[in-house]
Amino acid sequence: MERVPLEKKVLSENDRIAADLRGRFADDGTLALNFISSPGSGKTLFLERTLEALPKELRVAVLTGDIQTDNDARRLSRVGFPVQQITTAGACHLDARMIDRALSAWNGDRFDLLLIENVGNLVCPTSYDLGEEAKIVLLSVTEGEDKPLKYPGAFLKSKAMVLNKIDLLPYVRFDVRLARGNALQINPDLTLFETSCTTEEGLDHWMSWLQARLAAHAVNVAC
Amino acid sequence: MHEMGIASSIMDAARGEAARFPGARLSRIGVRIGEWAGVDTESLRFCFESMVLGSDLAGVQLDIDYCERGADLDIAFVELED
Repeated sequence: MERVPLEKKVLSENDRIAADLRGRFADDGTLALNFISSPGSGKTLFLERTLEALPKELRVAVLTGDIQTDNDARRLSRVGFPVQQITTAGACHLDARMIDRALSAWNGDRFDLLLIENVGNLVCPTSYDLGEEAKIVLLSVTEGEDKPLKYPGAFLKSKAMVLNKIDLLPYVRFDVRLARGNALQINPDLTLFETSCTTEEGLDHWMSWLQARLAAHAVNVAC
Repeated sequence: MHEMGIASSIMDAARGEAARFPGARLSRIGVRIGEWAGVDTESLRFCFESMVLGSDLAGVQLDIDYCERGADLDIAFVELED
């Protein structure tokens, strides 16, 4: 009997495709962002508001994952940018191959910004690298402040957290300071935003961050 | 669902490793799963054991090394018999 030691990622095939995607995004100057949250945190409306605020000349594309229906793609495509629905037919997350397949349907079109709305789930999507530059986790005030402690992986692997639906704060028992503290306890480097997609409060901060990322990205590509 | 996919990835990766040693039979696979990897180890074991039944990997054992505070999702070793 021989034991062969290995240091191999279980998801090495996914990671290989994700690395290939990351290389293509770098070559094309695409900023790719992967949005993760529980179902019902407001990802789709948050992305609609983001798309509405982006300059129309920017080359933006959206991939949206759900287990069934193309409802989200229909909502997001109203803004006018190209949108594709990825229907996973049961899978609880998007993987790199799904992104690769969806992008090939656009025949190599280049984008400045690719927004990926993952399947509503705080667990499985965190394991699958999609070649993105950053994961963004959304948490809404109708959930518990302890979500970051209960589902640390999503918060640990994200670069930013959006605390959404803050217009509902007067009606729900939610301690913003506690939620922020819990998130930073898991990941002290998280950039935090507080937004309402109904009143649009706080969206300007998010858009400034996004514009800065886009600008930094464009400079890197130019170099 | 998720653990089924992970089990399938473990089986594929282990097959790839075993293929480097022609004639040897894979007997055990060791994986390291971190607390934050988002994988339920009992569910993973159940999926693995169900999937190897009747497959080319029938009888292969799965060792799970669960570690706290990590996001590891790695294959640590394979054991081969001549």
